[in-house]
Amino acid sequence: MAVTLDVVEKQADLCLDAFHKQNLSKEALSKLCDLIHAMNPQKQDLLYIQAHDTNPKSQAMGMSMVVNGQFEEPPLDPQDWPYQSVLEAIDDGWRVISFPDLSLLMYEDNPLGLGCEFILEKIT
Amino acid sequence: MPARSVSFSELETYDCDPTLTDTDVIRMCTHGYMMFEGVVPGEINQRVLEFTKNAAIQHEPLELRSEDWFVEHVLLNPAVAGAIRSLLGAHFHVPVAISNHRYQCPHQRPQEWHVDGASKFTPELDNLQVFYYPQDSPVEVGPTELLPGSHLIRNAHRAMCHIGRIRGSVHTVAPAGSIFLTIYNIWHRRPSSTATCLRQALKYFYWRTAAPKRDWIRENIDFTRIDFNGPAQGLTADFQECFRASQIYMYLCGKLDAYKFMGGQCWPLQSNRKDGPFWGYPKEIEDA
Repeated sequence: MAVTLDVVEKQADLCLDAFHKQNLSKEALSKLCDLIHAMNPQKQDLLYIQAHDTNPKSQAMGMSMVVNGQFEEPPLDPQDWPYQSVLEAIDDGWRVISFPDLSLLMYEDNPLGLGCEFILEKIT
Repeated sequence: MPARSVSFSELETYDCDPTLTDTDVIRMCTHGYMMFEGVVPGEINQRVLEFTKNAAIQHEPLELRSEDWFVEHVLLNPAVAGAIRSLLGAHFHVPVAISNHRYQCPHQRPQEWHVDGASKFTPELDNLQVFYYPQDSPVEVGPTELLPGSHLIRNAHRAMCHIGRIRGSVHTVAPAGSIFLTIYNIWHRRPSSTATCLRQALKYFYWRTAAPKRDWIRENIDFTRIDFNGPAQGLTADFQECFRASQIYMYLCGKLDAYKFMGGQCWPLQSNRKDGPFWGYPKEIEDA
């Protein structure tokens, strides 16, 4: 079970109370430290996929990721990319948080940017 | 060839015979770059590497512009100057600045994809950005990565910083002494590298001074059947890359005013068709 901020705060209050009563123990402080470490704040990973069109099944033309706070790129050969489409990423647990900006696609004679960009997230 | 009353390094403009054919020019319009492998002699490459060891000028070695041997064999390299003459016309302007993109390899993190600053998104090809590798540049050294055909798609550096891998990108792997021409707004970046060495890539810029006209090596081509399909196919809405590439070619021929987008199956789209009018075909190009 995930340790919540409430649990950590209760233990901190116990430690503070014990400190005022001059009976703060090493064990109580150690427990507080363990709880803080166990809380392990959740992080957002991002997956950018530039697809050929707005269909989530369309071929990925570009891909990059932010994983554990680091910007990453998939392998050089597109055949080795972890996903070939947005739909494959969704099937692997990624959630779409941004859909392509359709206003960029309305003027065919003024091509803008790389494909249709989906942004997806995973909370880890 | 110029009258040799002035030294190479004193030249501001230059003229020579064009060396590209219509086929070459059309390919430049569709791909946005052109590679010349190993055209600079080995002793010149070595001299450049020695010259750029001077810490004071490592990143902006403008002093090379004052060296006759550099201007003659690199900036006005015969194999390359003929191509520049073909694309920018007679008396093109010789570079006035030189950058050297030096990076100590290995370098795990690639540079951001970008279009260089002050880019003009236009079919009017009036300048060329040129890269020169004085050393062997295998993929391990991180030769410039570019996206062929991307000069046909508008983008801006600040909008590209999150882009990573792109399907269809190429590393400009090349031996020492290679030079490649680019249309300025092509998307590019320095990729990651795995070798342990100093990576160097010199970059400089040429301008047109003469009005565009079709004075390269002419081929007997059927203008109605020019194929402007290129690597940007799939990167734009259907057919748009053909229209944009054809506009660049029309401009280079001095006939951009004759170009008309007529929609649907108009020129230059290719398909089996009944004899009859080819809507949008700029017949004026036959006089180019």
